[in-house]
Amino acid sequence: MSVRLAGVAIFMIAALYTWYGRDYTASFGDVLGPAVFPVILGIPTMILSASLVVFPSGQVAWPDREHGLRQLAALAVLLGYALLLRPLGFPLATFGLIAGIGVILGGAPRKAMILGAVFSPALWALFDQVLGLPLAFLGNWFT
Amino acid sequence: METLSLLAQGFSVALTPLNIALLLIGCFSGTLIGAMPGLGPVNGVAILIPLTFAFGFDATSSLILLSAVYFGAMYGGRISSILLNIPGDEPAVMTTLDGYPMAQQGRAADALAISGVASFIGSTFAVIGLTLFAPMLARMAIYFGPADYFALYVLAFITIGGIAGVDPRKTLISALLGLMIATMGLDPISGIPRFTFENYHLYDGVDPIVALVGLFAISEILLLLETAARDRAKPIGIDSWLPDLRAIWATRWTVLRGSFVGFVAGVLPGAGASLGSVMAYSMEKQVSDKDGTFGKGDPRGVAAPEAGNNAASGGALIPMLSLGVPGSGTTAVMLAMLITLNVQPGPLLFERQPELVWGLVASLYLANFALLILNLPMIGLFSRLMMVPTWALLPIVAAVSFVGVFSISNSIFDLQLMVLFGVLGYLLRKLDVSLVPLVLGLLLGGDMERNLRRAISISNGDWGVLVASPISVTLYVMTALFLALSVWLALRDHKRVKRRELLD
Repeated sequence: MSVRLAGVAIFMIAALYTWYGRDYTASFGDVLGPAVFPVILGIPTMILSASLVVFPSGQVAWPDREHGLRQLAALAVLLGYALLLRPLGFPLATFGLIAGIGVILGGAPRKAMILGAVFSPALWALFDQVLGLPLAFLGNWFT
Repeated sequence: METLSLLAQGFSVALTPLNIALLLIGCFSGTLIGAMPGLGPVNGVAILIPLTFAFGFDATSSLILLSAVYFGAMYGGRISSILLNIPGDEPAVMTTLDGYPMAQQGRAADALAISGVASFIGSTFAVIGLTLFAPMLARMAIYFGPADYFALYVLAFITIGGIAGVDPRKTLISALLGLMIATMGLDPISGIPRFTFENYHLYDGVDPIVALVGLFAISEILLLLETAARDRAKPIGIDSWLPDLRAIWATRWTVLRGSFVGFVAGVLPGAGASLGSVMAYSMEKQVSDKDGTFGKGDPRGVAAPEAGNNAASGGALIPMLSLGVPGSGTTAVMLAMLITLNVQPGPLLFERQPELVWGLVASLYLANFALLILNLPMIGLFSRLMMVPTWALLPIVAAVSFVGVFSISNSIFDLQLMVLFGVLGYLLRKLDVSLVPLVLGLLLGGDMERNLRRAISISNGDWGVLVASPISVTLYVMTALFLALSVWLALRDHKRVKRRELLD
C-alpha cells in the first residue's frame, strides 16, 4: 500500500513538473530551449511511478505509534531549531537541540541536559572564536 | 615513467605539515565514524563537508582530509561489524557474516587483525590501480564531445545501484527525482527561473551540500529513532592484543582475490563498495568453502569482503576523478564538495590541476599506512569509543550538521530545506529507494542538460547527433545491456519470491 501511495505522489509531482516545465521558453540563440529537458525527465518519471502504482514491489514496515511520535517530536525540534536559531542565539538554541534530541532518543533528561550544556558553548567557541564563523551568542530577542 | 615523476610531485604536496596533520586527523576521525554503529562513510563525509568549508582549506587539502575520512570509515566499519554484529553501512554487511561468529568464538583479535590487513592490502591495491588507470581513462575522455558526455551520464544513471537487487524502477525514479531537483533555479543558458515558485531563495537552485546533509545525516536520525530506546547490543570484548600472524598469512590469496574483484567492481560506474564486498565474499565462498565453514567464523570470510570493499572504495575514485561521474555514494558526496570548491573533475582536471590529483593519490598511499598503524595497536581504544550511546552521539551529529550548513550560506531557509530533505531521505529509504542515484542526479543534472543542449545546438536541432559518434553508441549499447541485465535479475528475484510464497 505504501509503495502504491508513494507511486501516486511521485506521479502527481512529475505531472505538475512536466505541466509547468513545458511552458518555459527562451527568446533566441538556444536551439533546444529550457523546456525540453524537464519534459524528458517528467514523462519517464510519470510512466515509472504509474507502474509502481499498478505493480508495487517491496513492503514497508512503518514504526509503531510510540516510535512514530518520537520521530514527529524530533522533527519538531529540528524545525524549531531552524526557526529559533536567530531569535535565541546559537548556544541557547543548540542547547535545546542537543538536549531535546537526546531525550527523544531515550537518554535520561538530566544527562541529556548536561550534554547540551557542555557541547553548545563548546561548539560556539569552536566555530565562532576559533574558526571565525560568525554565530550570534545572544539572539535578536535579547539585544 | 611520467606517472612516477607526477607521483613524486604528489608526495611533495602531500608531505606538507598541514596536509600530514589533516591526513592523520582524517584517518583517526574516519575510523571513529566508521566504528560507530549507524554512522558510515557517506554520513560521515556528508557531515564533515560543510566543516571543511568552515576551515577554509584549499581544494587539495579539503580533498585529502575527506578522502582520509572516507578510507578511515571503510576501515572502521569492520569494527562494529565484528564486535557488535551491526554494520555501520552497506559494504560492511558481508563482514558480519563471518566476523561476528569469529568474535563469539573468542577470536575477535584475529578477526580484527585479519580484516585490518585485508583492508590495507585491498585499498593499497586500489590506489596502485588508481595511479595507473585514472590518467589513462582521463586521456581517453579528452575525446568526449557533448553528446558523448550526455551518453555517459545516461549510462551512469542507469547503472548506479542497478544490480544491487532492488527494483530497478525505484533506482531510476530516484535518479529522475534528483535530476528534477537539479533543474530548479535560474536556467544557466537562457537565464529564466524554473520551478522557483517565485521564491528568491531558490533562484540559485538547491545547494547540493544542503540536500546531502539532509538526505544522509538527518534521515539517519529519523531512521534510528525507530529503534531508539530499545536495548543496545553489548560489544564482545577483545581477547588479546597480539593477533596470530600465521592466521593472517593464511589468508594471503583470499585477500588478493578479494582485492582484484573489489577493485573491478569499484571502477564500474554506479557499483561501488557494496557490490565489491558482496562479489568478493561470494566468489571466495565458491572458490574455497569446501568444508562449509563460511558463515560460521571462517577467517577467509572476513578477509575477502574487507579486501573487496576497501579495494572498491579506492576504485570508485577512478571514474569520479577522471570522468566526473562518481561510482558510489561517498564519491558522489566528494564530487559535491569539489563542485562547490569550483573544481570540475574530469579529464581536464589531470592537466589543469595535477597537484590536486597527484597530491590526493600520494596522500592515499600514506593514509593506508597510517590506518594500518592506527588500526592494529589502537583497536582497543576504538572499541571503547564505540560504546558512546546513540542518545549522546546523534544530537551532536544534528548540531554539527546545522552549523555546517549554516556556515555555507548563513540562511535559515537552507536549514529548513535540509530538514525537508531529511524527511524525503527517510521516506525514500523506507520505500527501499536508494539515495545515491538521487544525489548523483542532483549533482550531474546541470551538466547533463548543458551537454544535451550544446550537442543539439551544434547540430542545429538534429537529434541524430546524440548517436553520431562511436563513443556515444558504445555507451548506449553498454547502457542497454546493463538495463536488460538488471531487469532480468529483478524478474528472476520476483519469480523466486513468488515460488517461495507458493511453497509456504
